[in-house]
Amino acid sequence: MLYRTVGQFKTSYAADHALFPVRQDAWLLGVILVFAFVIFPFTASEFAFKALLIPVLIYSLAALGLNILTGYAGQLSLGTGAFMGVGAYACYKLISIFPELNPIAAIFLSGFFSAAIGVAFGLPSLRIKGFYLAIATLAAQFFLVWLFEKWAWLYNYNSSGAIQVPTVSSFGVPVFGPNALSIVQYYVVLCIVTVITIAAINITRGRIGRIWKAVRDMDIAAELVGINLMKAKLSAFAVSSYIVGVAGALFVFLWRGAAEPVVFDIPLSFRVLFIAIIGGLGSILGNFLGAILIVALPVLLGTVPAALGLPISSAMVEHLNTMIIGALIIMFLIVEPHGLARFWEIIREKLIMWPFPH
Amino acid sequence: MKTNMTRLALSALLSVGVLGAVPALAEDIVSLPNLSYRTGPFAATGIPLMNGQRDYMTMINERDGGVNGVKLGYEECETGYSTEKGVECYEKTKATGIVTQPWSTGITLQVLPRSNVDKIPILAPGYGFSPMADGKVFKWAFNPPASYWDGASMILRHISEGNLDNLKGKKIVLLHLDAPYGKEPIPLLQALAEKHGFTLLPIPVGVKEMQNQSAQWLQIRRENPDFVLMWGWGAMNAGALTEAVKTRFPMEKFIGIWWSGHDGDMKSVGEEGKGYRSLSWSVPVSDSQAMQDIKKYVLDPKKTEIGEGEFDWVFYQRGVLISMFTVEAIRAAQEQFNTKVVNAEQLRWGFENLKLDEARLAEIGMTGMIAPFETSCDNHSGHAGAWMLQWDGAKFVKVSDLLQADQTEIAPLVEAEAKKYADANAPWPMNDECKM
Repeated sequence: MLYRTVGQFKTSYAADHALFPVRQDAWLLGVILVFAFVIFPFTASEFAFKALLIPVLIYSLAALGLNILTGYAGQLSLGTGAFMGVGAYACYKLISIFPELNPIAAIFLSGFFSAAIGVAFGLPSLRIKGFYLAIATLAAQFFLVWLFEKWAWLYNYNSSGAIQVPTVSSFGVPVFGPNALSIVQYYVVLCIVTVITIAAINITRGRIGRIWKAVRDMDIAAELVGINLMKAKLSAFAVSSYIVGVAGALFVFLWRGAAEPVVFDIPLSFRVLFIAIIGGLGSILGNFLGAILIVALPVLLGTVPAALGLPISSAMVEHLNTMIIGALIIMFLIVEPHGLARFWEIIREKLIMWPFPH
Repeated sequence: MKTNMTRLALSALLSVGVLGAVPALAEDIVSLPNLSYRTGPFAATGIPLMNGQRDYMTMINERDGGVNGVKLGYEECETGYSTEKGVECYEKTKATGIVTQPWSTGITLQVLPRSNVDKIPILAPGYGFSPMADGKVFKWAFNPPASYWDGASMILRHISEGNLDNLKGKKIVLLHLDAPYGKEPIPLLQALAEKHGFTLLPIPVGVKEMQNQSAQWLQIRRENPDFVLMWGWGAMNAGALTEAVKTRFPMEKFIGIWWSGHDGDMKSVGEEGKGYRSLSWSVPVSDSQAMQDIKKYVLDPKKTEIGEGEFDWVFYQRGVLISMFTVEAIRAAQEQFNTKVVNAEQLRWGFENLKLDEARLAEIGMTGMIAPFETSCDNHSGHAGAWMLQWDGAKFVKVSDLLQADQTEIAPLVEAEAKKYADANAPWPMNDECKM
């Protein structure tokens, strides 16, 4: 009923290939954007900003980066956490070497460092594939975290070995550090995520995205039709690591406030990989849905017993939470192995057909 | 019918919510959140500590009806020792809580700068960042009764029989967890090594290698040090002791900091760990008045439950002492501000003016469990003394007189490191009210 496409005619190829062939999709996105840009910021509490909105956006961005590499270009990576770390440490060094640098510029610049490291560790992908490549990226994971621990220059020889975020302002408004307001940090994260998401949508729908998909589906065939595999794979590593690096810088500088090397260890990589897989490989929307399920849902579930006044100890809540989320993940993967994005696609198609299914 | 059921369920939920909220409004209560970890890799050490804290507060509520009539609203927020959960719990509890207990050096580092802005005191008893002892720089952070640097100094004084120059030419290994916590003592130990002419060799143990330390112990065997000091936590302690037994390292040369003296860890080594020593600022005294009251008012009526034998553990009774700090700070703040329900700002004053002398400890029934100390606006740690506890195969026993840290060596480093932190995090608000 709401999704009826009657009366929406396509009169040109361009219209048929438009980003939103169905008008209701555009409206839906518009509503979501209004919520994200206007309604949430004015209604959210400090807790909602710090525990729900900001982390969901940052994890979505990290999963988006990984999805470009794994979902679009078909190169499985287990080194996401370490590449996030490269972005975070690069941002830390940038703001300590150039204190005058604008914090938002520092975040965008730090992505280039992780892109370079990503390309370097992507080189083996030219020779090895599939699970073997996953093991090679695992090497990046172990090596980089070891480097974060041992190379004291990276953390300015702090005795604690952790990086800490000082207060840094952009045009007089604190963006990094304890004095920054949550709402400012939220808007910065939201704008960066929006810009990068729009860029990612365009890249994946365009020539480069098609090259990646061709490589993913069958690299020998892609090579035979004249695609340069080296360029295709390395560009996927570069773009993916750039986005992941920016997500890493946001992760520490606009959310956590301090980080030790172990934060970037393999559990973080797996977490981002789960978000991408549960959300749906080869989709942009899926990253956001996956992040809501994996990052936001446990936080929301954790507040339920207290809100209902149930006398459950917080350790028990944590145990229950783990069980519920685990069961949900398994359920979603059984119901729809292609992820939440595909799940939404099916719902949407049903809505378009409704009330007359074939 | 269906709508009726829904309505019924909704009204039931609502009434549960309302009933749950009413008694809380009826009496004076202060919210004391604790970022606990009863799950995750360090749960085994976390549980007795958290139980001790909870039980002391429950006892005060049951025996005295709270502190001067104000109930202690002890509530836990589970972090599982994860820094990410730490952010979430801090944000969740800061609105109502009048104190934050981060319970991990990693989480402490995250909340330390925010405490200035949110104006909530951090209580990090015996852990966290050692320079926090400088109250002039860290207005809102407290690490009573002693910092890691105090601990390092006390251990060195003990093994050198009071004069650090006796260590000249000796080799000391620091076996530490490769995390902010384990790295804490290195700056002080390095400074002392240079000054007194002993060799310091830090050997890190990664979080992933905690249970398998064969490489580290091979190195220790090759180096053949005169002493091994340990800054270990959780599974690392048991792992190190097992390896030490396996490589026949003499236990008399092996000394841990207060977090490496957990009965649960030692049980797995048992008889073979005999002779291992751990520095501790708390000593279990199970027949003290406070502990007996916990037994009488909390454990015997089954208000809460703890594991078998846990009551006598070092860590359980240390948890009790930690809650005592908060309770005494509340008491002090109530007197000073002539109010019943203290807020975060007043509690900060309370932590800054803890006066735990022998007389006060006797009054609250804790004689001998902790060394007397007091805090002030420039001394947020108190620099209390500590004792050496030795494992006798079944339990820890006190084997030394009260040890004291050498403040002449620590104070300049505290000042320098605190200043370094403030500079790196500029603009950092200093505690200008403190004129000491």
